[in-house]
Amino acid sequence: MPATLFQKVWDRHVLSNTNEATLLYIDRHLVHEVTSPQAFDGLRLAGRKVRRPDLTFATIDHNVPTEDQLNIGDPLSRRQIETLRSNARESGVNFYDIQSGRQGIVHVIGPELGITLPGTTIVCGDSHTSTHGAFGALAFGIGTSEVEHVLATQTLWQGKRPAALGVEVTGVLPPGLEPKDIILAVIRAIGTAGGTGTVIEYYGPAIRALSMEGRMTVCNMSIEGGARAGLIAPDDVTFEYFTKTERPFAPKGAALDAAIADWKTLATDPDAQFDSHVTIDASKLVPQITWGTNPAMTVDADGRIPTLEELPASVREEAGRAYQYMGLTPGTPVSEIPIDVVFIGSCTNGRIEDLRAAAQVMKGRKVAPGVRTLVVPGSEQVRSQAHAEGLDRVFEEAGAEWRQAGCSMCLAMNPDRLQPGQRAASTSNRNFEGRQGPGGRTHLVSPSMAAAAAVTGRFTDVRRLLDR
Amino acid sequence: MNPFTVHRGKVAVLDWTDVNTDLIIPARYLKRIERVGYGKLLFADKRYAAGGAPPIDEPDKHGPLDPSFPLNRPENQGASVLVVGRNFGCGSSREHAVWAVAQAGYAVVIAPGKDEGFADIFEGNALNNGLLAVEVPQADWDRIVELAGPGGAEAVVDLRSLTITVTAGAATVEVPFFIPETRRERLLQGLDSISETLLLETDIARYEQSSPAWIRPTTA
Ligand code: SF4
Repeated sequence: MPATLFQKVWDRHVLSNTNEATLLYIDRHLVHEVTSPQAFDGLRLAGRKVRRPDLTFATIDHNVPTEDQLNIGDPLSRRQIETLRSNARESGVNFYDIQSGRQGIVHVIGPELGITLPGTTIVCGDSHTSTHGAFGALAFGIGTSEVEHVLATQTLWQGKRPAALGVEVTGVLPPGLEPKDIILAVIRAIGTAGGTGTVIEYYGPAIRALSMEGRMTVCNMSIEGGARAGLIAPDDVTFEYFTKTERPFAPKGAALDAAIADWKTLATDPDAQFDSHVTIDASKLVPQITWGTNPAMTVDADGRIPTLEELPASVREEAGRAYQYMGLTPGTPVSEIPIDVVFIGSCTNGRIEDLRAAAQVMKGRKVAPGVRTLVVPGSEQVRSQAHAEGLDRVFEEAGAEWRQAGCSMCLAMNPDRLQPGQRAASTSNRNFEGRQGPGGRTHLVSPSMAAAAAVTGRFTDVRRLLDR
Repeated sequence: MNPFTVHRGKVAVLDWTDVNTDLIIPARYLKRIERVGYGKLLFADKRYAAGGAPPIDEPDKHGPLDPSFPLNRPENQGASVLVVGRNFGCGSSREHAVWAVAQAGYAVVIAPGKDEGFADIFEGNALNNGLLAVEVPQADWDRIVELAGPGGAEAVVDLRSLTITVTAGAATVEVPFFIPETRRERLLQGLDSISETLLLETDIARYEQSSPAWIRPTTA
C-alpha cells in the first residue's frame, strides 16, 4: 500500500488500535513551565513516576524576562519557574535552566540540541510543537491531562488517524520574501479551520529550496491553519543538519548512518494519495501582513485593508469586530498604517537566519523615532551565534533593544508586552485580541518586513529597501 | 472522572466564530499552578467592564460585568449548556480554557459543523475533563440558536441516544449529534485513561525494545 510520510510515521508508532482509538508511542516529550505544573501534581497525587525521564526535556521560556533573565520580578512567574525546577529535580528529566547555555524556547532548543529527529513522535503541552515536523517528525501539541498521561506512560491516546492534507508550494520564492510569507499565504488560502482534523504535508520545489530553519517557520504555523501537525519529508538538507553540526542528543557515527538510511524511506510514496490538496505558487507571492484578529486575515504588503463587501459572507461578522479592535478603517492602504512597536523573535522567527534577515535590513539604518523595537533570540545558543556574527551590534547601532532568550512579546506572560492601543509589527504567530498584551494590536509579518517597519515607522514593502 | 449520561440545563448562546483559547482565558492567568479556580476567569477580558478582570491569583476579586457581553445577559445566568460558533477553542493548546469553561458551570458545549465546530486540541482536552463537546450539522445548529438565542431555553443532552432536545416555551427541537464512539464510551464510563493505559505495560515495554538503536537520545 503506498503511504504518505505522515501515515508512515504514524503507523510506526501505533501500539494498539481498537475501534476508533489509537495508542501512540511517544519518542520525545518536551516540557515547559506553563502547561506542566498540574500534570506533575497529578502524578504525585496518584503516586506515579515519570516513566522515561531520559525522553523528557524541560526548559523555561514563557515567563522569562528577556531584559535580565535572572531578575524575575513577578512572584507568580517566579513560583511557576520554581515549580518546574523542583519537578525536574524530583523526576530526573533533562532540564535546561536559565543561563545553562541551552535554555530557550522549547521549539528552538529541541532541534538545535538534536532532541528532534526525523521519523519520531514528539509532543509538548504547546500547540506550536508542529514546528518539529520540519524534520519529518510527527509533532503536535497536547493538553495538560495528556502531558500527565505521557509522563506516566510515554504513550498517548488518539482518535483514528487524521486525514492527510497536501500543501504543494511550487515556483521560486522571489527576493525579499521569506518562509513566513509562504505560511501566511497558505493560512490565508485554507482559512483558520482549513486544516482541522488533518495533518499537513508541505512539499514542492519552494519547500525543498528552504533551509531547515525556513521549514521550521512553515511547520510552526500549521496550527494557525487548524492542523494538528505539519510535516516535510527529510532530504539532504535535513541530513546535513545532523552531519555538518554535531547535535548533542542526535545519533553520531555509524548510528547516524543507520538513522539516515532509515530516514530516506520516510518520503511520501509517488502513488500515495492525500485526502485533500492545495497548491500555492511561491513565485507569485508578495510580502504578507495580517490586518485582523486571526492569522487568516491577511493582505499583501502593497494592498489595502479589505472592505466588508470584499470579504466572504461567512467571515464578515468576525471582520466587523476585527476592524474595531484593530482600530482600522476598511480601504486604508497598508503602507499608511503607522506602528508603535516591533517584535522580532518567537518560535516562528527567533532563529539565527531570522535575525540575519532582520539585520540585513536594519544595517546602517536607524529605528524610526517613537518606535520601540525588540530583538529577542529564541535560545541562548542563537544569542551566542548572533554575537559571534556581530548581529547584536547591528541591532543596537540601529537603536533596537537586543534581549535575552525567551518567548518575550509573543504572549503576555512576561514583562514584554504591548500597552492598550499600541500597534505592533510582530514576527510571532498569533494576532489574537490581547495576545501581546490586553488591548494590543498585532500584525504578523516576516523578520525582514518587521525590520522594514522598524526603520520606516510604518508598514513598508521590504523589497523597496533591499535594492540599495 | 464522573460518568456522563444525560444532562439537563439552561442554554446560553455565544455565536462568535473562531473563538480562540487566548480569548477564553488570557495568557496571564496561565501563571496559576492550580487546577481549580478558573471559572471566574472565563473570557476575563470580555466579561468584565474595562479594568474589571480579576487579578491572577484572586479570581473572586473582579470588577462589574460588561453588560454587552452575551453570556452576561440576565437570561443566560445559570446556564450549563453553551452553544458556540464554528472553530471554537482554536489557537493555544492550553487546557486552562477547558477548565475555565467547565468550572464556570458548563457541562456541554455545542458547535456547528462536523469536524469544524471545535479545534482538535480543545476537543481532546474537553474529553479529558468530562466536558461534553459535540458537533451538530449547521442547519440543526441554526435551529437551536433560533430557539435558544433569545434566552431561557432548556436542553436535554443525552449521550446514550446521541440527541439534544431544546425546549423554549411550547417550541421544541430535537437534533442528533455526533461524537466518536470511543469518546462516547469513555465519557459514559468516566474512565481514567492513565490507569487504563498502564494495563498495557507489556506492550509498551515490548515496543521500546524493538525500536531502532538510533532513536535513543545519546547522552550529552
Ligand atoms: S514563542 Fe510564542 S508561540 Fe512559541 S512557544 Fe513561546 S509563547 Fe508559544
